[in-house]
Formats: sequence, C-alpha cells, structure tokens
Amino acid sequence: MLGVWAFRDRAGSFTLAHLFRLAGDEAYHHSFFITFRTATVTTLVCVLLGYPLAYLMATAGPRARALLFTAVMIPFWTSVLARSLAWVILLGRRGVVNEWLVATGLVHQPLPLLFNSFGVQIGMVHVLLPFMILPIWAVLARLDPALPLAARSLGASPGRAFLYVVLPQSLPGLAAGMTLVFMLAVGFYITPALLGGPNDLTIVSLIEMVVRDLLDWSFGAVLSLTLLAFVGLIFAIGATVAGTERLTGAEART
Amino acid sequence: MKRRRPIGAEWRAGLLWTAATLVIVFLLAPIVVILIVSFNDTTLFSFPPSSWSLRWYYALWNSRSWREAALLSLWIALAVTFASLLVGVPAAYALARSTSRSKRFVEFFLVSPMVVPVVVLAIGLYVLFAPFRLVGTPVAIFLGHMLLALPVVLVIAGAAVRKVHPSVELAARSCGASFLGAFWHVVLPAIRPAILSSGAFAFLTSFDEVVLVLFLGGPRTNTLPKRIWEAVRFELDPSLTAVSTLLCVLTLLALAVAELSRRASRTQARPELTQ
Repeated sequence: MLGVWAFRDRAGSFTLAHLFRLAGDEAYHHSFFITFRTATVTTLVCVLLGYPLAYLMATAGPRARALLFTAVMIPFWTSVLARSLAWVILLGRRGVVNEWLVATGLVHQPLPLLFNSFGVQIGMVHVLLPFMILPIWAVLARLDPALPLAARSLGASPGRAFLYVVLPQSLPGLAAGMTLVFMLAVGFYITPALLGGPNDLTIVSLIEMVVRDLLDWSFGAVLSLTLLAFVGLIFAIGATVAGTERLTGAEART
Repeated sequence: MKRRRPIGAEWRAGLLWTAATLVIVFLLAPIVVILIVSFNDTTLFSFPPSSWSLRWYYALWNSRSWREAALLSLWIALAVTFASLLVGVPAAYALARSTSRSKRFVEFFLVSPMVVPVVVLAIGLYVLFAPFRLVGTPVAIFLGHMLLALPVVLVIAGAAVRKVHPSVELAARSCGASFLGAFWHVVLPAIRPAILSSGAFAFLTSFDEVVLVLFLGGPRTNTLPKRIWEAVRFELDPSLTAVSTLLCVLTLLALAVAELSRRASRTQARPELTQ
C-alpha cells in the first residue's frame, strides 16, 4: 500500500498531459468499456448461480451443508492458474466441450469458446463465484428460520415469504458479494490474459502492455491510479451498503 | 404425527437442488478434468484418456527447471507463512483489543492489499523497490507476498481473537500472569486453530501467486507459478496437467489442515472460554 502512495506522488509530480491522453483516446475508452462490461456480466451471472447455492447451504441439514461448503471451498483455494489451464483444455477448438458437442451432433463446426470474451466470462465466473456465495451464505445462515415459517403461517405463499422476508434480510450479504465480485473482476489479470483474445484488452492488460512493452511508466501510473480510483469508489459504495466487515470476509472465512 | 407438506414443496426443493448441483458441477468440473487428463499417455489433452500412464509425473520429476521452480516457491512460501504469522497474529490481537479511534483506519490500511488490483500493487512496489535494487530478487517477491498474505492472517486470526472474551485474560492476569504470559498461555492456545488455518492459507496465497512475480521478478525468481504461466501461454506442455494436479492436492491438504484443526479444537473447546 505504501508503494502505491509513494508512486502517487511520483505520478502526480509529473504532468497532467497523460491524463488528457487517457481522456482523449478512443482505444482507452474501449478498454474501460470492455472491463466494466465483463465485470457487470460476471457479477450478474454470479448472483444468478450463487444465490440458490448459498440459500441451500444455509437451509440444508448439517451433512449436506458440509458437502456443499467443501464443494465451494475447494475451487476457492485451488490455484487460479491450474483452473485457467483446465478451461483451456475444456474450451479449446479440440477441447472436451467442443468434441462432445460435435460428437453428439449438436453443432457441426467446433464453436469458438476460447480466446474471446466468452472464455474470459466463463473463467471469471468460475474464479469469482465463491466470493459471491460466501457473504450471502454468511447472512442467510444467521437468519432466524422461524421468520419465513411465520410468514407462511400468516398465509404467505412460499414465493411471497421468500420475496418479502428472506430476500430483504439477505440484501447486505448480496451487496457485499456483488461489490467483491465486481471489484475483483475489474482488477483481474490472470484469467483475461490466459483465456482472452486480442480484442478483449482490459484496463489491467492495457497497464501491463504500457508498462512492460512500451516502458511508459508514467502513463501506466496514470492508468493504475484511474483503476484504483474506480475500485476505491466501488469499495466505498459497497462498504456503505454492506459494511466493511462483510467485504473483508471476516465472518465467512472462519 | 404426519408432517404435512404444502403442495409443490417437493418440486421446489428438487429444482433448488438441481440448480445447486449444476453450479457445483461447474465449480468442480475443471478440477476433475485436469486430474484425469494428467494421467494421459499421449501429448494431446484428450479426455477421457485413451491410455493411462504416469508419464507426465516422471517428466516433471526429471525436469530440473520444474524442480528448481517448485523449490524456490516452497522456500518463499514458507518464509512468507512464518513471517506473516509472526507479524500478523500479534497485530490481529492488538487490533481486536484496541479501542483507539485510529483503529478502523489502521485496519483498513492493513486489509487494503486485498482489494487493490494486484497489477496496481505490483507497479507501485516496482517503483518503491527500484531504488533499493530489489527488483528481480527473491526478497522483492517475499515482501510483495507478505503484503498479500498479511491480510489473510489478520482477517482469520482477528475473528478468532474477538471470540476470546477479554475477561478470561483478565482472570489470568489477576492470578499473577504477566501480560505476555496471559497472551502466550491463554490467548494463543484459544486461537490455535485459527493460527494453523491462517498459516495454511498464507502459504497457499504465496505459493500460487503469479502477478507480482511477473512484474517484480527476474531471471532469478522463476517460481512455480511463473513457470506454469509461461507454459500455459507459450508451449502448453502436458506436464502442466501433472503440476496442476499436484497443486490441487496441495490445496486439499491445506483445507484438510484447516478443517482438522478446527475440529480438534471443537472437541476440546471449553465453552466458558469462548464468547
């Protein structure tokens, strides 16, 4: 963190020219657009896939919960590199998924699943899904199971009991999960770099290119600080809605 | 007495379980596939393998570059684990007990590397390390990994400390224990499972980290993740599946350590000692 601050002075003492360069160039706008589109889709897909699982984890019996919990924790801590490699093997032109699709006659040509935004999306959801599930589960597990039952006994349908009793109470967890996933997705490097194609240059890949290939450290610094400002903003919003404790995962991980 | 089930409850539960099963298949499928493919006998990543062998594990074992990379990663990860526990556990204790107003600020700063994109962190550290000629050395990687591992220790150990009631410590103090004595004999044993699991996770955090190594590393810091990174990007060497499988096994071991230590503490937990 100190490094980032030291570096802010350095970047700031230069000039504002780099900032104007960032604001003026279409290519950089495109990069920001791609990054935020990917992060948004990732967040939404994670909500759709994560919420039912978190709900089940919170309501299932102890044995089923332990099973589900293990199934979430194993990928959570498994090497991101190993998982990215797995997706390369699964989604490649002659990968498992394509071979299977062609063999069953569902498609005639192998689908382009890898090295494009689809591949990145799959990989990102896979890496970030546990970050959605754990905070939602942490909130749902503390919910008094008598509450939805009370709603039912007062005549609410299961759907209404969920919509008006369970869902509102789980919103802080949902907000924490969404903030975490969005924030991590915006700054993620490994998955887009390994599964993405040349058309999906995210901000982070752009920073990497500017710094390593063009050796333009001051412009890289401006890009980094812009990214940092966005992440800080998202974190601030999330922390106000959900509370800092939930964001750092203090309750979910122990 | 027969439990009355509302009409539709069954299929609703069934639907929920089906959805959850699909999500879990999605979560676990890549890991299972890589596990199976690693026992393949051909150079293609065919699945399911047409013939089985331990060929890629032998190749891995006989390759000097893979072995050296693994050893370097191991040393760095061990150093990071010990150092982050040494710094992190007392810090977590101090933060949990502190009533100071600056506490939230300090806490935020210590946990912030968790949310700052690693690439931004890497560039900041590069600029910071460059004047000290640290870039490209294992020391730079060690310091960078400390930044990532410390929050893990702080979060897990901090949550555990908060569960130990301060009155227990006060009791030890009033029985004549010094401050350090109370910390050593009362607090530490109570949070031992958290120390073990945070150590395991600090180890994994360092052992699997690639972005800082890519930016801060040089020819002297070919860690295992960096070797994997290059192999995935440029050559797609089948030994990769064997390395990945071993990494998965390592993860399972770390999770097992965390879970077992938690279970062991639960059986001997004295409820009066925890809040």
